[in-house]
Amino acid sequence: MKNKRFVMVSIVVFALVLLAACGPAPTAAPASTAIPPVIATVAPTVAPTVAPTVAPTKIPTCLIVGALYGGPMNDAGYNQAMHESMVAMAKNIPCVKLIEAENVPDEAGAKTTMVNMIQQGAKLIFATASNHQNPAVELAGTNPDVTFEIAGGWLMGANYANYYADVPDSWFAMGVAAGSMTKSNKLGFVGAFPMGWTSTFINSFELGAKSVNPKAQTFVTYTFAWGDHAKEADATNSLINQGVDVITMHVDSPSAVLSTAESRGVYSIGFQDLAAQQFAPKGWITGTGFTLGGTVTFLTQSVIDKTWKPIFLRCKMSDGCMALAPFGPAVPQAVQDKVKQTLADLDSGKIVVFQGPLTDQNGKVKVAAGATLSENDMGSLDWFVPGVVGQAK
Amino acid sequence: MAQTADPPKNSGFFYQKYLQVILRNLVMILIAFLLFGIILLLSGKNPVLSFRDIFRSTLGSAYGFSEVIVAMTPMLITALAVAFPARVGLINVGAEGQLYMGALFATWGALTFSGLPAWVLLPGMALLGMLGGGLWAFIPGYLKSIGLVNETITSLLLNSVAPSIVSFFIFGYWHAPRDTSTTSNFVKSARLPTLFGTRIDLSFVLAVVLLVLFWLFMKYTRWGLEMRAIGGNSQSARRNGIPLKIYLVSIMCIGGAIAGLAGMAQVSGYYGLLLANFSIGLGFMGFLISWIAGGEPLGIFLISFVVAVIFTGGNLLQLTQGLPYSVINILLAFTLFIVLARPTFFSKRRRS
Amino acid sequence: MSLLAVLGVISSAIYSGTSLLYTTLGEVIDERAGIVNLGLEGVLLVSASLGFAVTKTTGSPYLGILAAVLAGGLMNMVFGYLVITRQANQLASGLAVMFFGYGLSALIGKSFVGAKINPLPRYVLPGLSRLPLVFSSLFKFDFLIFLVVPMAVLIWWLLYRTRWGLGLRAVGENADTAFASGRNPKRIRYQALLVGGLLAGLGAAHLTIAYTMAWSEYMTAGRGFIAVALVIFSNWDPLRAIAGALIFSAAVAFQLLLQSSGAQVSPFLLNTIPYLLTILVLIVWGGNRKQSAPASLGRIYLGSE
Repeated sequence: MKNKRFVMVSIVVFALVLLAACGPAPTAAPASTAIPPVIATVAPTVAPTVAPTVAPTKIPTCLIVGALYGGPMNDAGYNQAMHESMVAMAKNIPCVKLIEAENVPDEAGAKTTMVNMIQQGAKLIFATASNHQNPAVELAGTNPDVTFEIAGGWLMGANYANYYADVPDSWFAMGVAAGSMTKSNKLGFVGAFPMGWTSTFINSFELGAKSVNPKAQTFVTYTFAWGDHAKEADATNSLINQGVDVITMHVDSPSAVLSTAESRGVYSIGFQDLAAQQFAPKGWITGTGFTLGGTVTFLTQSVIDKTWKPIFLRCKMSDGCMALAPFGPAVPQAVQDKVKQTLADLDSGKIVVFQGPLTDQNGKVKVAAGATLSENDMGSLDWFVPGVVGQAK
Repeated sequence: MAQTADPPKNSGFFYQKYLQVILRNLVMILIAFLLFGIILLLSGKNPVLSFRDIFRSTLGSAYGFSEVIVAMTPMLITALAVAFPARVGLINVGAEGQLYMGALFATWGALTFSGLPAWVLLPGMALLGMLGGGLWAFIPGYLKSIGLVNETITSLLLNSVAPSIVSFFIFGYWHAPRDTSTTSNFVKSARLPTLFGTRIDLSFVLAVVLLVLFWLFMKYTRWGLEMRAIGGNSQSARRNGIPLKIYLVSIMCIGGAIAGLAGMAQVSGYYGLLLANFSIGLGFMGFLISWIAGGEPLGIFLISFVVAVIFTGGNLLQLTQGLPYSVINILLAFTLFIVLARPTFFSKRRRS
Repeated sequence: MSLLAVLGVISSAIYSGTSLLYTTLGEVIDERAGIVNLGLEGVLLVSASLGFAVTKTTGSPYLGILAAVLAGGLMNMVFGYLVITRQANQLASGLAVMFFGYGLSALIGKSFVGAKINPLPRYVLPGLSRLPLVFSSLFKFDFLIFLVVPMAVLIWWLLYRTRWGLGLRAVGENADTAFASGRNPKRIRYQALLVGGLLAGLGAAHLTIAYTMAWSEYMTAGRGFIAVALVIFSNWDPLRAIAGALIFSAAVAFQLLLQSSGAQVSPFLLNTIPYLLTILVLIVWGGNRKQSAPASLGRIYLGSE
């Protein structure tokens, strides 16, 4: 009988929701933002549901900005770094109203979320995960008055473009730090997926390590998820059990990897967000984190001023788009100086990380003498330099 | 892991006194919302605004309504994939895995025959999807039919195997140049056509047609009427001149094929590509929906609709109330709890 | 493989298998009393999130463990109310509990993502402290790891050597017969679920407080279902569950070792082996009729009021 009962429940719900939907006409929408609905088919009821969580400000809203993240925005990692850049922007431009959505890992969900943001009146959307690019580009076509900025993206059009920090260079400096500190000459890298950028970072890391320590090897394992802490702990333990004594990572949140490394008494190097240092107070060497607040502010301001243009924006550490974390207590002054010198040399162009000739693990020439890797090559790179132990695909 | 499945009821829904039924169900829904409201209050959110957001974002606009339809489509199909074998007492907890295998096979078709026109490619992908899901259901069906292992256990275990196989093909062979966790976007001819400029695609129509066919089959064919009796004992099967083993295996496979079709619809319609771990629980949701509906097509439709409203509404809650998206699962669970607990405010009968 | 590699795999297996074993032991008790808890995933998530939150808030991992254990028991009581008192379908109720756990844990854990906690202290196995650091760090464990095997033995003793265990297994075999011989099946099933929930809570506590030292949404990633598979694999026997959990986690560790050795073996195919192995074991048992699943597993006890 219970089955019938639920069927009846459903019928009642069905009737109720239909009533709710059709019944009350769009009663006076909250005043403050009188932005017309973007899509013609959208009934005006949905448009301006003002978030009660946002403190009411006296400043009139000049722009509603939507930001979506692939993971939780307090993950002490990538998503937190992206979130912090948005918060910095909102602070710099007080008339901006920011709406954020976290844990949007896939394309279909990203599309739903961005459509919701546009219906809430967002005219600028920051999509911060690589899976957000396709839906963003698709929505850019149907919403010509909305601007899309994709962090780490590579496509550009009339109302969409991308921004990111110039990351591979910083990994070379991290390699220098790791190669100087290791005693076992074994470095460990926990990656999320075997994908182009991760492989580029690993290569850059190994090249940096080898530049100061020719015996240094980098061992690679993947968790096949951006945020599976149990797998991250598994992978970190596995690397340490093979004698690795410096751990670094390219997953969303550094917390599980670095906590595990610290508990096993090995060194660690952070990435994504400067907050990573708290997880490894003793074994911390150094790390890098995204500091894109200035970039996001610049982009937002240009949309407000109507001067926005699609640019392929990549900015260096010296531009303030990435920052070097403080060194840990175990790092000698000489190593600290060496790392800083390397960063300066990278900035000035004295060191070019992917300067040919470069070969893969099997000795096959991948970058000819005199050539360098292009941004496009890095995004789809699927080989490792000699000294890396693991599979790039 | 034997399971006492509930006998289906073929009589109409409306024989009870309307007022009493409506009252009881109103109270049940109110309790679910009230409980969820308390949770929201405890976490410092405004329940009234939250409920308003859920309903406005789903039923307050044509777009919202279309998103509900989009969300309910795979649930309709996976619920059917569970309901059909359940008619003969087979418990298919494996729709999740069958969905993945259907998506896998369909994707192979989409990537290999991308040059074909849509009218050949799409039916081909649908058939491949059904083949994938059907093959995946053949394993538990066969093991059950020869009396070795219960289909509940096997289909449950295979749920954990299928996503790994999908990942194996994506990462190993099919991935896009820049993102190894997904394939490239399918070509236009491998995408199910969408309707009315929304994300509703042809699979919704297909799902409804399948439900109606299922209903007609159950109601008006001799086979359909006698399915349970046949599945229940071999003597009845013999009387009907049906070899029981082949019968059980085929029914399980048909269930799997339907789930595989849902997988095909997900990659060809909703996503437009295959990505690793694309479903967290669609098949399980189908199991729940089918079980609660007692395998009745109308019930499946209505319950899927309610579940889809809850899920779709959850997305806006995140934007306006700052709640994690998964929190909407609590409202869903409360509704399920109350249905499962079958409160007896108005009825003396405890159990059928 | 070198000795270090072998020891490394064993060490990894012990670290990651502990939470799995506690959870499996809990499910063994549930199923011995005739109840399948597919909602284990949800129970684990709620326990893990609450345990982590309490550890972070109070600064004490021990209070966190306590909170996680109690949360596990409480979650199983909710499940028990549905399947025992309300006589709802076990599979459907389990899945409902799973969805409940997804939601509730996300809410509890929201502000604790990316938080740092005081982990459980670890101790070197007595007698190994004189070995070189490479070896001794492999076997430096927290107290939950040291306790897990004794716990399995204790559960075995409870099930097979006490009146309570006898009654519990009798209910799992046939609740009506058990009732006829003077037992209260409903009460016994509640007790079984309570103990099972407490153990699941312990498993969740080890995972989040001692092992990953981090919380994220849906972080159990299918461990509840792995435990359900492991119960079958270990033939509903707490002692065999030790081997089951170790083999299972060693497979994961071995897979990671292969990856970072540059071997050409797909990690995904290796991931499927434990499940396929369980099915294979079931087929062999099915053929030999050696399977010892509780006879009334999953059946609803209609009671006798």
